[in-house]
Amino acid sequence: MKNRFAWIAAAMMFASMSSSAADSIIFQLDWLPGGDKAAVYLGVQKGYFKDEGLEVTIKPGRGSSDAITKIGTGAADLGTGGIGALMMAAAEGGAPVKAVMSIYSKQPDAIFTVKGSGITALKDVAGHKIATAPFSSSNTIWPVMLTANGLDLTKVQMLNADVPALAPMLATGKVDATIGWVTTGPAFEAVLKEAGKQLVMLPWSEYGLDGYGLSLFASEKMIKERPQVITRFLRAYIKATLASIQDPAAAAAALKSMVPEADLTAATAEYRASVPLMKNPISDRDGMGAFEPKLLKATWEWVAKAKNYPANKIDPEALVDRSFLPKK
Amino acid sequence: MHKWLDRAAPVLTFISILAIWETLCRLLAVPSFLLPTPSAIVIAAFAVDIGQWWAHLAATLEVTLIGFVVSILVSVPIAIALTNSRFLSRTLLPLLVVVQSTPIVAVAPIIVVTLGAGLLPRVVITFLITLFPLVISTATGLQATPPELIELSRSLRASRAREYWQIRLPFAVPYIFSALKVGITLSVIGAVIAEFVAAEKGLGYMILFSTSSFKVPQAFAALAILVTASLLLFQLVVQLQRRFFLWSIPASR
Repeated sequence: MKNRFAWIAAAMMFASMSSSAADSIIFQLDWLPGGDKAAVYLGVQKGYFKDEGLEVTIKPGRGSSDAITKIGTGAADLGTGGIGALMMAAAEGGAPVKAVMSIYSKQPDAIFTVKGSGITALKDVAGHKIATAPFSSSNTIWPVMLTANGLDLTKVQMLNADVPALAPMLATGKVDATIGWVTTGPAFEAVLKEAGKQLVMLPWSEYGLDGYGLSLFASEKMIKERPQVITRFLRAYIKATLASIQDPAAAAAALKSMVPEADLTAATAEYRASVPLMKNPISDRDGMGAFEPKLLKATWEWVAKAKNYPANKIDPEALVDRSFLPKK
Repeated sequence: MHKWLDRAAPVLTFISILAIWETLCRLLAVPSFLLPTPSAIVIAAFAVDIGQWWAHLAATLEVTLIGFVVSILVSVPIAIALTNSRFLSRTLLPLLVVVQSTPIVAVAPIIVVTLGAGLLPRVVITFLITLFPLVISTATGLQATPPELIELSRSLRASRAREYWQIRLPFAVPYIFSALKVGITLSVIGAVIAEFVAAEKGLGYMILFSTSSFKVPQAFAALAILVTASLLLFQLVVQLQRRFFLWSIPASR
């Protein structure tokens, strides 16, 4: 009996030793590992996480709500997702997940159309056929976006189509415009080029949409039990992001080395397309990763309007924890 | 000459379909994002490293085969229980029908969230898709035994175990094998559905990854490999039956 205790004690000691050697983190992406997700791969490949004593495993996801569920249930420790989705989750009953850093300080949603379609500003979509993916987070904001530009849903003809079908539909002229994230622009360009057409993107951020987009999430369990690990992770993640902004091609190469399915040229273009969402006057003013209270409130107001929630349904401040960001 | 033509017929059909496909795509200038030509698919297939294809194929086969074997191991005892006991058949069968009528695609995300992101949820999804036809066919086969034989075995005081092992199960073999043929193709479908929902490897994941980055020829290449694998697995079941249960194949073929 005594012997067995000694064994358990030894095993526990060994376990605590190995955990202090490197903290393992399961990092949940909100979508497939496309070029826009390259920064975290660069962090792994360049050893930024290792320098902080972290061993990071990256898992591809199937949408922001999927990522929030996985982080909330403990299937992952940290991850990315749209903060709008987190606000909706909170308004619908809550998930034990908090945003610890903003990644996009501008919303990525945009109208994609082709040159010569007659759509050159958002209000021009009136009377046109527009396709969107059925589960896109943009769909909830879209009616509010139209109202803000003096239109409403009755003025446009909406179609639902699966994500892979959107670019072909635009290329063949089945629709006049589609809704998508600016990060997918390069992929659309490639498809449209084959049809001899030229892509025109109208980012909603230029037509009144403001607020935070993609953010970094942590489970409340993680925040309570391993706060130091989050601080170290953010330090390395920001370092990786800055390096990727400097050199998108290196980030894409890091992605390619871990995700062989990725296409180097396309991934570079995708990362480059996401840079203005991360590095812009807002991030220059508040610092990278910040949640500025006013802008955070604006983010929630868009969600509340889109989903018809009362404005006081949740307090967006309760969904963020700024304590892990590097001190300025 | 006639015999030769007869043997080559399937291959010739296949080749001519590919030729028509290629010509039509080229003549009508169908863009590759709508329907790629067979040659574009072959080029896309070779653009991907062979080791990578193998890794994806191996991942899908692993899920397919584990799910398939588990559903065989579970379905035979269930089928025996169903034929053996009126009570079990009244309680278990409705449950099986519920499982079968639930669209797995709809519950797959729930399974993944509950069981984590490893191999287990994928095997469970495959298993759930394959189970029902196996149980039903096996049970039908077990019941198809001529009643005189059962009466004879009972009058000779053969044990229940012998009744099943030596009379009922052999009679069920043709039924089981026709279920296995359906089951193996369903297992492949199950594995792909599971990979659509949660996976970082596998041909289903490859198809999802390719279509979401608009690499349609690459998606078709993955699809072609998947279909080939499915055909080979089907043939494997056919050959197993031929080799070990030749008597169970009707003589007319």
